[in-house]
Amino acid sequence: MIGPIVSSGIVSAAWDNIFAVFLGMGFGFALESSGFSSSRKIIGTFFGYDFVVVKVFFTAAIVSSLGLLYLSYMGLVDYSLLYIQPTFLASAILGGIIMGIGFAMGGFCPGTSLCAAAVGRIDGLVFFGGMFIGVFLFSESFPLFENMYYSGSMGAKMINSVFGISPELFTFFLVLMAIGMFYGAGWIQNKVKKIEY
Amino acid sequence: MEKKYALPSVLLVVLALGLVILPGKNDSRETDPNLLLSSVTEKSRYLSVDQITHRIIENDPTLMLIDLRPTSQFKTFALPGSINISSDSILSATNIERFNQPGKDKIFYANADLTAEMVWMVCARFSMKRIYVMKGGLNEWFHTIIEMKPVPVAASSSDLDLQSFRNAARQYFTGAGQKTVVPASGQSGEKVTVTRKAPGEKSGGGC
Amino acid sequence: MKIKNTDMKKMKNDGSHYLNPYLGGVILGTVLLLSFYLSGRGLGASGAVKNTVAATVNAIAPEHVEASAYYSQFAGGDHQPMSNWLVYEVLGVLAGAFLSGILFNRLKLKVEHSPKITSRRRLLFSLLGGLIFGFGSQLARGCTSGAALSGMAVLSLGGYITMVAIFGTAFVAAWMFRKNWI
Repeated sequence: MIGPIVSSGIVSAAWDNIFAVFLGMGFGFALESSGFSSSRKIIGTFFGYDFVVVKVFFTAAIVSSLGLLYLSYMGLVDYSLLYIQPTFLASAILGGIIMGIGFAMGGFCPGTSLCAAAVGRIDGLVFFGGMFIGVFLFSESFPLFENMYYSGSMGAKMINSVFGISPELFTFFLVLMAIGMFYGAGWIQNKVKKIEY
Repeated sequence: MEKKYALPSVLLVVLALGLVILPGKNDSRETDPNLLLSSVTEKSRYLSVDQITHRIIENDPTLMLIDLRPTSQFKTFALPGSINISSDSILSATNIERFNQPGKDKIFYANADLTAEMVWMVCARFSMKRIYVMKGGLNEWFHTIIEMKPVPVAASSSDLDLQSFRNAARQYFTGAGQKTVVPASGQSGEKVTVTRKAPGEKSGGGC
Repeated sequence: MKIKNTDMKKMKNDGSHYLNPYLGGVILGTVLLLSFYLSGRGLGASGAVKNTVAATVNAIAPEHVEASAYYSQFAGGDHQPMSNWLVYEVLGVLAGAFLSGILFNRLKLKVEHSPKITSRRRLLFSLLGGLIFGFGSQLARGCTSGAALSGMAVLSLGGYITMVAIFGTAFVAAWMFRKNWI
């Protein structure tokens, strides 16, 4: 069966939402069991006492990148049908910076705050509630940002094309970089004093 | 990091390296020359101006008209809803992204057939799906729809249907006053089957 | 608080423990891979918030939704913002995290915060952080999961840029707010 299954017409479109529930469950389980329901564990990355975020995040990124390329190589996935986040330069950078500030203040990102709320962390629930206000404020003030929101459009550009190399070669370098980072993180974690949380 | 991670690390690097050194995929987007030849000789790539006019009037969402003429001509007149891509930049990455949408019928046209045929061939070589040529180009379209010839008196009923459809279409495009009843879609001689939802449609956005 | 280099696990005396982060990463990566294989898209979280907000506004002031250049992209008209892939997925996240909480004995109602600050301060910063994060996630068309992680899986340039921007800024900003954390 050539993926994505939903686009291939093998199953009816209603299955998409059923997949969504189960994929979400896997997502929530993976995040919570890795410790992403604890804001102090997450924020440890930035003070060097716990690099769980870096480890989980980059392991997931390389596993899925490698997996998709292998599936595509074996003809199991039609890469051209996958949703590739389009690149809008200005809004990606500024949005990222704003999210970084929110991350450092709240100690969560949207997915992890939901996991924290699910296991009874009130701070997670409040963070998630705060997001509604933020989204509402953005939507209401959208005309102010509209030009910026659409500026620097580069379409569904892939990062390997920036360096002029193949996706496979880029992923190879990504794996090397990630492993280097994991060793570096372990080294720093041993140097930094431990913090109880 | 502990020693126990050495093996998984090596394994990952080998997996990634394997991807790089594996022989190139044979689905390198290019169509086999024999297949290409048979699709060139087959005439199913042509859509008549009547068929296309029908779909324009019906606001068919799966219709994508690609105007291959120079921008100056495109600005003067173009079929409604068409996008302008010059034939020499048809293969640039941004242009492919613009028009190569899986759920749409991509119809090439220029003034006559030649440019559209050429572009069709290039795109067919790139294994693009659902690509067509407007038979006769814009000249034929203008000739048929706008400067319609009168039909002989002893015409068959399907000819008369076609005639009244073209009349209505002319009215639609030019706003010229004509005392003709607009035929309901499906009644006219040219039957156009419209596929509204393509199976190979892209999924929506992420977060 | 100074604690000697001991095994981290020993400090969690509530009996809970976490998966090895690399194992967690492999699970997360596999789920993400499955998401692309089954549905052709990555995972997300902030999109569901966006749809909920749009649906709420649509229920209260539908004409406002029609007029807004932002809401009208996904609410009003034929759109069904609450019957959306992302909304179902987020419901799944809640269930999955809850199951993991049961399995690893972590279900507990509490405000987690550094001993140096009050719960009140923690909650205030949570709210502000959520507000800012929500705002930024709309600007960048996705959050850490939808834009950064899912983007990285398909090698999207925008995904990488957003990831670097989030983590780069957070490293600097975390030091500004360090009194809240350590």
